[in-house]
Amino acid sequence: MFKNLKVSFFLACKSIKRGNIGTTILTVMIMSLIFVNLIFLPSIVNGIGETIIQQSIDTIYGNIVIEPKENNLYIDNVDNIQKKLNKLPGVVGTSARYVTGATFTHKSKFVSGAVHSMNPTDEEAVTIFHKGLIAGEYLSKEDTDEILLGVEITGKEGVEGEEADLGGVTVGDKITITFSNGVIRAYRLKGIFDISVMSINSYAFITEKEMESVLGLENKASEILVTLSQRGSEEEFKKKFIELGISENIKTWQEKLVGVMESILGSFSLITFISTIISLIMAVVVIFIIIYINTVNKRKQIGILKAIGINQKVIIHSYVMQALFYCFSGIVIGSILLWFLVSYMAANPISFPMGDVSPLIEQQLIVTSIVSLIIVSLVAGFIPSWKTARENILKAIWG
Amino acid sequence: MGLKMIIVKNLKRTYVMGKVEVHALKGVSVNIEKGEFVGIMGPSGSGKSTLLHQLGLLDTPTSGEIMIAGVDVIGLSEHEKTIFRLNQLGYVFQEYAILPELTAVENVYLPSMMIGKKRELYLKTSIDILETVGLGERLYHRPHELSGGEQQRVAVARALVNKPKILFADEPCANLDTESSKHILELFRKLNEELGQTILMVSHEEWHKKYVDRIIYLKDGLIEKM
Repeated sequence: MFKNLKVSFFLACKSIKRGNIGTTILTVMIMSLIFVNLIFLPSIVNGIGETIIQQSIDTIYGNIVIEPKENNLYIDNVDNIQKKLNKLPGVVGTSARYVTGATFTHKSKFVSGAVHSMNPTDEEAVTIFHKGLIAGEYLSKEDTDEILLGVEITGKEGVEGEEADLGGVTVGDKITITFSNGVIRAYRLKGIFDISVMSINSYAFITEKEMESVLGLENKASEILVTLSQRGSEEEFKKKFIELGISENIKTWQEKLVGVMESILGSFSLITFISTIISLIMAVVVIFIIIYINTVNKRKQIGILKAIGINQKVIIHSYVMQALFYCFSGIVIGSILLWFLVSYMAANPISFPMGDVSPLIEQQLIVTSIVSLIIVSLVAGFIPSWKTARENILKAIWG
Repeated sequence: MGLKMIIVKNLKRTYVMGKVEVHALKGVSVNIEKGEFVGIMGPSGSGKSTLLHQLGLLDTPTSGEIMIAGVDVIGLSEHEKTIFRLNQLGYVFQEYAILPELTAVENVYLPSMMIGKKRELYLKTSIDILETVGLGERLYHRPHELSGGEQQRVAVARALVNKPKILFADEPCANLDTESSKHILELFRKLNEELGQTILMVSHEEWHKKYVDRIIYLKDGLIEKM
């Protein structure tokens, strides 16, 4: 067995080394591009998924979000809950928010949406809104007549159209808010944030103190966001929260995002699947054609090899080894191309409505792509060489 | 002399081409002694090459018996035939049937490598044989760097590397000029005389007769005279 493989390896090496260099380079380049294609599109989809997850954790849910019990509008005794949670090792911060419907008006423009409340200090530990300020300042705990708006609500000056925004309000402008309970108040625009996610840029914040005054509530919240030091430990902390006696609805980001992720990534997964199948078919066709032409051109040589006593399996294995050489070389060069591409895109992410996306290459994706490419190369190398090598010796030599 | 290397009894080979049957061999019986240099001659279509292919296990006869070195080779499986060809038989074809991607010495040692001999051993044997056939200076040349005669001598060296019991040569000088043909035939003669190599050679050139021990004349698929 070993001696047979040695001869196959010898024949394959000589054929590659002393064969047509141009064909070899072209084949390896095609294989490397196929490998890049196998990894790249799924990695972009993974990147989109990761962006959605990270943005959701950083802005909407934290790692864990606590919501009111069923049929309740608010969580009670919020200060006590936050104190308990903040004492737990591994909890980075908690932020209690009120959320209520509102209409924002500036001059003749108006926008309907939701207003969130925040304790600015708590919110800084949990979300990234303070990092996304593009104008003005962040809220202070004691602010009562000031508001923080996302760039999707403020809009841009001079841009007219059907956009649901306030037409380009700037810091210092007065915004009138009609709350869902009928209270109407005017606020000075203190700051504008832009964190690259369209839906999150429609958020509006006033302080907790101001919201409690509007709603006539105290020590309550619509939701409490909890940020953990490590992503992936949410289930463990959920159990700890229950053990602490928190009886509200505790949901991890995974539970909150499951539907969203399924609907978004579900559509992409079909595209990824089609792209993967096309890539693999391309790999089969390329390897098959190269080995087929090779074996047809060397039909006489194959006949001679058989005539002088070289085992048919040795001949077939030598062509399969050549196919594997094209495959592995393609994988190596493809990996280098991919590294450059991913490095470039990490520095220059693509802007999607859900945020800036960079490719995310998971280990499983690499392993699956390599294994698939090896399998198709083995098959595509085997079939044409097997077909030619089993031909009658005299027919192979003399046609 | 006296020891029978090949025994052939009533060998027939019929090719079916569509609805037409071509009887290439119609019942050939012949014995070849160990150490004989035998020429097979006859007009085109007489069955010379067909007989050589049957004896060299490159084709399977329609009926008849072939014993080579005491082995009934007709009963061997394809795999056993491959091993038999590798270990016991050597071939020189009409065209320079050597591999263009291998150097002269690589072409020669390939069958030894296949047997599983050690590299040092097969390399030394191959170089020795190439020197014997006069190609000691052309060991690492590829076929396109060799003349037709030189390529055919590489093929002869390859055929001899595993010390075969029989060397089959199918019109080995067909594509060579007279001078190169003489070199090949003198080489065969030398191998036959000095090493006692059994050789079966198909030829249609009358002047080749002087190199062989005896000639089997074929006509219309039958032995005309021996």
